[in-house]
Amino acid sequence: MRIYSASAEEALRARKRLRDWTGEGFLSKEQYDRLRQETVPQLRTTNIFLRVVLFFFTLIGVGAGVALFFVGSGPSEQAIGDFLLIFAVVCYGAAEFAVSQARLYRYGIEEALAVCSVAFLCLGTQLAFLSHHYAPKPDIAQSLVPVLGAVFSLWIWRRFGFAYAFLAAMICAIFLAGFWTDSIAVQHGIVAVFYGFGLTAVIAVRPRHLSDYLDETYSLAEALLWLGIYVALNLQISSWKPLSEWLNASAWRSARTAFEFSMPFYWATWVLIWCLPPIMLTRGIRRKDRFVIAVGAIASVLTLLSNKPYLGWPRHTWDPMILGVVLTGVALFLRRWLAGGPRGIRYGFTARRLSGKDKQWMNVGSAVLGLVTPESVVPGPQTRRTDFRFGGGQTGGGGAGGEF
Amino acid sequence: MNIFTRLEQWERQGTISAEQRAYLTGLCRGEPFSLFLELNILLCAGVLAFVAGLGWTVTTWSKQLGDVVVLTVLSALFAGCFWYCFSRAPAWSRAEKASPTAIFDYVLYLGSLVWCIELAYLENRFHVLSGQWDIYLLVTAAFFFFLAYRLDNRFVLSLALSSLAGWFGLKVSHWPSRQEEAYREWALVYCLVVGMGGVILRQGGLKAHFFGTYLNVVANVLFWAVLSGVFNWQGYGPWLLALLIACGASLAWGLKGRQFAFVAYAAVYGYVGVSSVLIRGTGDSALILTYFAFTAVAMLVVLVLIARRFGRPE
Repeated sequence: MRIYSASAEEALRARKRLRDWTGEGFLSKEQYDRLRQETVPQLRTTNIFLRVVLFFFTLIGVGAGVALFFVGSGPSEQAIGDFLLIFAVVCYGAAEFAVSQARLYRYGIEEALAVCSVAFLCLGTQLAFLSHHYAPKPDIAQSLVPVLGAVFSLWIWRRFGFAYAFLAAMICAIFLAGFWTDSIAVQHGIVAVFYGFGLTAVIAVRPRHLSDYLDETYSLAEALLWLGIYVALNLQISSWKPLSEWLNASAWRSARTAFEFSMPFYWATWVLIWCLPPIMLTRGIRRKDRFVIAVGAIASVLTLLSNKPYLGWPRHTWDPMILGVVLTGVALFLRRWLAGGPRGIRYGFTARRLSGKDKQWMNVGSAVLGLVTPESVVPGPQTRRTDFRFGGGQTGGGGAGGEF
Repeated sequence: MNIFTRLEQWERQGTISAEQRAYLTGLCRGEPFSLFLELNILLCAGVLAFVAGLGWTVTTWSKQLGDVVVLTVLSALFAGCFWYCFSRAPAWSRAEKASPTAIFDYVLYLGSLVWCIELAYLENRFHVLSGQWDIYLLVTAAFFFFLAYRLDNRFVLSLALSSLAGWFGLKVSHWPSRQEEAYREWALVYCLVVGMGGVILRQGGLKAHFFGTYLNVVANVLFWAVLSGVFNWQGYGPWLLALLIACGASLAWGLKGRQFAFVAYAAVYGYVGVSSVLIRGTGDSALILTYFAFTAVAMLVVLVLIARRFGRPE
């Protein structure tokens, strides 16, 4: 089913590890040069920057080419839909061709072609079969588009291994529920059940791939599904209110309340948002799964953030300070506790850096954070004076660019 | 052949030792499993959440708390952070220095951000410099530059660069007219100052590892400034020429130094700028779409050639 051979992907994986180990001094330069010869990839890869740019230009080229087809002639919606379905097939065929003949691997071009094929399939189906089908929701026929989108995205994920295709399938599942029922509570339940089935399937499959290149793919899929289930069940997070409104101290009254849902459902979800993060963290730690640990940590923070709106309690301006102290305290405690173990290791975990990539991420992250932080962390004014204008300088400014 | 089989094979061949194989096999199995990145992200998120809450609280409750309480708390935090940093900072060196402790960088972040809050509070409440925010920004930028070079920290360097950009922006905002042109010209001056500064410091061997940060900031500001000139309906010719020169320089630098972010900047900014000139005033959508279809394919061909010749995997 996978378009890339296992040996090619294993060779790429081995080469990445070699580079990492050499960077950290676990292998000498001579060893690296020698071992590099044995992990020559049969696939054509590129770096992240060229990958993004190639993706961007492929999207422009395909989008403009397809749009050009419809300009001037003014075809009917039905005809546009039919042609889009044909273009979906063409794009998918081109993606397959790019991989099988040009041996492209995460090269941007084949990725954009695959993404276009999913988009054209959904749009084409809508226009060809459902453009004249107007029925009030819930309407099972209308759910054809998200069903196809989800199934085809899953296929792309299985075939090419693009993690974002899996995410796209999960997003399609969210829309699906809206076509089946009007009840918001049932919609939340349907999405959670879908993700639950997906999670069960991924958990069942994973043990077979513990030592091969697919482990990371399944790890990411499992993490996304855990996060999906959590978000589907957290009625405060999934209400899609703008973040600023959600975080506003006075907005607690507008947050979702128990009155919008049946009481048992509302409080059951409250219990679940407290239960899920420890389950995720426990599973992630037991399996030493980085992605699952990360979503467990994210879900824990989200639970702390959404607890007050759930209970209908007002937020306080000092809540983020308490959260900050808790996060810092946990990080410092864990670091000290791990460092106190023999050779800095406890239960197989260490706080030491073992990969050069970590340092790279930290450097990029801290530089980017420095450029965006002043605006993000220093809030706006309490009251605006009308007699004085500071003018521009809103960007940057070390946070001192506005008035209190 | 998975990684474990390969390691076995490499040991049999004698390319790696038995100890190396055992250690690397352990790493592949997550034994030990490093939580370095996760703990650092947690620390960073903690500091950011704390400072956001602090700023929010000060803003909301300043009248109730009173100036003395607010300034005492902020000053104590600021002094505590910088006492910690300077008491533990290693001796200054021109080269890159590792952080002396695991939390050193985060204490420095906290201190720097508390400084921003305190300064803003001071001016708002006491109008020490009668609303001359540009002076605050310049002082802040100088302070952050000093900290970045003394304590070897990229985060504070970025704060310094953004404060300096804010100072240029505020200067221009006081001027009465031609604001857009003035902003553009001052953005170029900013690029020149920061770029030259970065080059001189690098040539002098002063924290040469900061040069990448300077260059990325300068490249993006420069391209935005030049692009905004290209988007003008009149008098865009010199800006287009400047864009082409900037793209050529960025491409050459990127290829020479294998820094493909600069190749990406040249491709994207250049394409956007040139396309905006070529298709402006064209009402024929077929012509516009034909242009995009053909030029995108042409760009793909060029970029694939570049990728095949120069583009290493990340």
